[in-house]
Amino acid sequence: MALEVRLRATGPIPLDVAFRAEAGEVLALVGPSGSGKTTVLRSIAGLWHPQEARIAAGGTTWLDTGARVNRPAHRRRLGVVFQAYALFPHMSAVRNVMAAMDRADEYEARRLLHLVNLHGLETRRPAQLSGGQQQRVALARALARRPQALLLDEPFSAVDRATRERLQAEVIALRAHLDMPVVLVTHDMAEAQLLADRMVVIEAGRMVAEGPTAAVMADPAALRAMGIRELAAMLPATIIERDADGLTRLEGPTGPLFLPGITDAPGREVRVRIMAQDVILSRQRPEGLSAQNIVPGTVLRSVSGTGPGVLVHIDVAGHEIVARITRRAADQMRLAPGDAVHAIVKSMSIARGQIIRAPEPRA
Amino acid sequence: MLFSLSRRILWAALTALIAAMPLRGAAQDHAPVIAAASDLQFAVTELAEAFAAETGQAVRLAFGSTGNFARQIRAGAPFELFMAADEAFVADLHADGFTRDAGDLYALGRLVIIVPEGSTLTPDADLDALERMLTAGGITRFAIANPEHAPYGMRAREALITRGLWEDLQPVMVLGENVSQAAQFALSGNAAGGIIAYSLALAPEVGARGSHALIPGGWHAPLRQRMVLLNGAGPVAEAFYAYMQEPRARAIMARHGFERPGDE
Amino acid sequence: MDWTALGLSLRLAGWTVVILLPVAVILGRALAYRRFLGKGLIEALVMLPLVLPPTVFGFYLLVAFGGNSPVGDLWQSLFGNQLVFSFEGLVVASVIFNLPFAIQPAQRGFEAVPVEVREAAATCGMSPARSLWRVELPLAWPGVMTAMVLTFAHTLGEFGIVLMVGGSIPGETKTIAIAIYDRVQAFDNRGAAVMSAVLVGISLVTIAVTYWLSARVGRRLS
Repeated sequence: MALEVRLRATGPIPLDVAFRAEAGEVLALVGPSGSGKTTVLRSIAGLWHPQEARIAAGGTTWLDTGARVNRPAHRRRLGVVFQAYALFPHMSAVRNVMAAMDRADEYEARRLLHLVNLHGLETRRPAQLSGGQQQRVALARALARRPQALLLDEPFSAVDRATRERLQAEVIALRAHLDMPVVLVTHDMAEAQLLADRMVVIEAGRMVAEGPTAAVMADPAALRAMGIRELAAMLPATIIERDADGLTRLEGPTGPLFLPGITDAPGREVRVRIMAQDVILSRQRPEGLSAQNIVPGTVLRSVSGTGPGVLVHIDVAGHEIVARITRRAADQMRLAPGDAVHAIVKSMSIARGQIIRAPEPRA
Repeated sequence: MLFSLSRRILWAALTALIAAMPLRGAAQDHAPVIAAASDLQFAVTELAEAFAAETGQAVRLAFGSTGNFARQIRAGAPFELFMAADEAFVADLHADGFTRDAGDLYALGRLVIIVPEGSTLTPDADLDALERMLTAGGITRFAIANPEHAPYGMRAREALITRGLWEDLQPVMVLGENVSQAAQFALSGNAAGGIIAYSLALAPEVGARGSHALIPGGWHAPLRQRMVLLNGAGPVAEAFYAYMQEPRARAIMARHGFERPGDE
Repeated sequence: MDWTALGLSLRLAGWTVVILLPVAVILGRALAYRRFLGKGLIEALVMLPLVLPPTVFGFYLLVAFGGNSPVGDLWQSLFGNQLVFSFEGLVVASVIFNLPFAIQPAQRGFEAVPVEVREAAATCGMSPARSLWRVELPLAWPGVMTAMVLTFAHTLGEFGIVLMVGGSIPGETKTIAIAIYDRVQAFDNRGAAVMSAVLVGISLVTIAVTYWLSARVGRRLS
C-alpha cells in the first residue's frame, strides 16, 4: 500500500515534487535548510495546502485538488513524528500514545512503548523525560495510529549525537515491524544514506534527484545540491570477531576491515559508510602504513568537478567506493578505468555512527 | 481525566451555583416599589414600617434624586408610586401620560444650612457667617444637591442667589447627586458645610454629626412635594397612597420637619 | 446586612459567568488561532467596555434596550415585562460589559497552546472538537479560569452600569454594591461597613481559590 505524492505550488513557498514510496520502504527527503522538504511533509500531513496536489496513501485519496478531494489532517490515517516531539504536556507517556488510538487500549500502548525501548517510564510526563525518550514516545504515538504512512520530520535533529545514533539504530531495527511507507525528512545526508532505501533531493522546492539511495548518491546534480563533502559509499560487511585491542574484524567484499566501536555480535551483517574524502588511493598495496583498512578494487571511472577535486569511483566486488582526491594526484597516478587500485581508509575515520546494521531481509 | 480533584471541585461549585440561581428569583417579592426623593429617606422608612405594622402589607423603597426617578419612569422603570420633592416633575409625567392622575401634594419641604461638628463655620439663618468666611477665603468646600435634577439643589441655588452668595460660592461648590449625598459631603469633614433638606438634618444619625439652621422659606420657591400613583399601580400602592393622607402619617411627616400643605 | 442584595449580586455574577464561559472559550480560541480580516476590529470591540465609562455604556444600553427600542419591545412582547430595570436586563448588560474580562485572558490561554501540539492532535486523528476537549482546554485552562474569576469578581463590584440599567429596585436590581451606596446615603455607616467587608471577603476567597486551583493545574503540567 504505497504513498503517492504529487505537489505543485507557486507561492509563498514554491514547490514541484512527485514521488512514490512503497510499503515498508523508507524514503528520505533531503535538501538544505529552506529547500521546502518540511513543507512537502506538512502537505502530506494535511497541515499545509498547496495549489495543485494529489496525495494518496494505501489506495485512499487524501488530497486531489483536481477532484476537489481534501481530507483534513485528522481524517488522514497517518503518523507524524515532529521535530520538536510535540507530545501532549499534560498527559503521561502512555496516555500520549493512547490519544492517537481509535479505541484507547492501554495494553497496546504499553506494548508500543516497549517496542521503542521505553521501559518503566510509561507514567512519566514529557517534562520528566529526556529528548531521546520523548522522541521514542512520539514514535510510539505515531505508530499507535495504525498509519498508512509514517512521516518523520527531522526526528533526530534535536538530540545529541550519541542519542541520535542510538535512535537511528532502533529505527533500523523497527523496520521489520513497519509495513507502511516511511517518509523521513532530514538535512543530514549521512542519516539519509544510513536509513533510506530511496532518496528525493530537493533544492528550492524542486526535485533535483530521485531514486534508490545508491543511485542518488552517485548523481552529480544531487551532490551539487547537498554539497560535495557529503559524498559517501555504503559497503556491506559481516562481523567476524572482536579483538582484544578494541578493533573488530569484519569481512568486506574484497578483504578484511578493521573498525572500532562495534558492539554487535559476530555473524551480524552491517553496512559501513565510507566518506569519499576519507579515502586514499594507491596503485600498489602499501606497506608500513598506519591505516588498517586496505581494500582492493578496480577503477570504474573518474569524474572531475569544477573545483580542485576529482571523484574516482571504484568497484569492490560489485559494490562501489568513491574516493575524492586532488586533480594533481589523479594526473600523477594516471588512473584509467579498469586499473587495479587499493582504497585505504583509516579505522578511526569510520565513527560508530557510520556503521549501521543492515535491515532484516524482507520476506 | 486530568486535574480530577480541582475539576471536580469546579464542577460541584458550578452545579451548586446554577442550582441556587433561578433567573427569576424564586423569592420574588411582589411588594410594590416606591420611588421616593432622597429627602424622604428617614420619613418614608418610618412610614413604611408603620404601614406594615398597621396593615400587614409591605412596600419596597428606592431613594434617589427626583429628576433621576422621573427619567427612569419615562424609560419604563416599574415603580408604582412616585414621591417627588418637586411637583413640576410630577406635572410633566402626568402631562405625558405616565401617571394615573395629577397626584397629591403631601408635604412642603424646608432648607437648612448644616455644618459638621468642629467646623469653624457657624450655622445661622441669615448666612452671615457663611458670607464672612467666604470673603475671608476660609471656605474649602460647600455642598448642595445638584441643581440640574434635584429639587433641593434647585432651591438651594435660588436661596443663595437671593442672598447674593451664589457666584462667590461657585469655585468651592460640591454637588451631590441627590440631597442625601449632599448631606454626606457636607458632614464628611472635608467641607465647611452645605445646604440640605430639613428632614435629613432632623434625623438622629445626621443631627449627631453637626448643627443646622433653617433658611428663610421666602428666599426660594417653595418645595412643593407631590406624590402620584403611576400607571400599573396595584392595590398595595394605592393603600399606601391613601395611608399617606391619614392623620397618623401626617404626624410622622411633621416630626420629620415637613409642613403640611395648607398649614403655612 | 442585606441578604437579598447579596444573593442578587451572586446570582448576577453566576449567570454572567455561565453565559460567558462558552463565549470565552469559542471566541477566545478563534481569536487566538486565526488571523482573519477584521480580527483587529473585533479585538478592539471586545476591549471597548474596558475604556468606556460605565455611565456612557449604561446610557447606550438604555437607548438600545429601553422602553422604546426594538429590542426592548421585542422582549416586552416575548416575556411581558421590561428588559431594563429587571434582573434579566442586568444580566444582559453584565454579559456585554464583561466581554473583555472574559475573552482576553481566555484568548491568552489558548495562545499559549503550542502550535505543534495542536497539529499533533490533528495528526493523531482528533477532530477539532475532540482536540479542544482533550488537548487544548486542559492546556488553556488557566487562562479560561482567570477569565471566569475576573468576570465573577468584576460583576460583584459593578455599580455604574447596574444603577443606570437596573435602577435600584430591591429584590430585583438592587445589588450589594448598590445596597452599600444606599446605606451610606441613609447615614448607616455600620450597615455599609458590614456589607463591604462581606463583599471584600467573598472576592478574596474567590480569587484565592482560583489561584490555588490554577497552581494545581500548573503543577500537573510540569
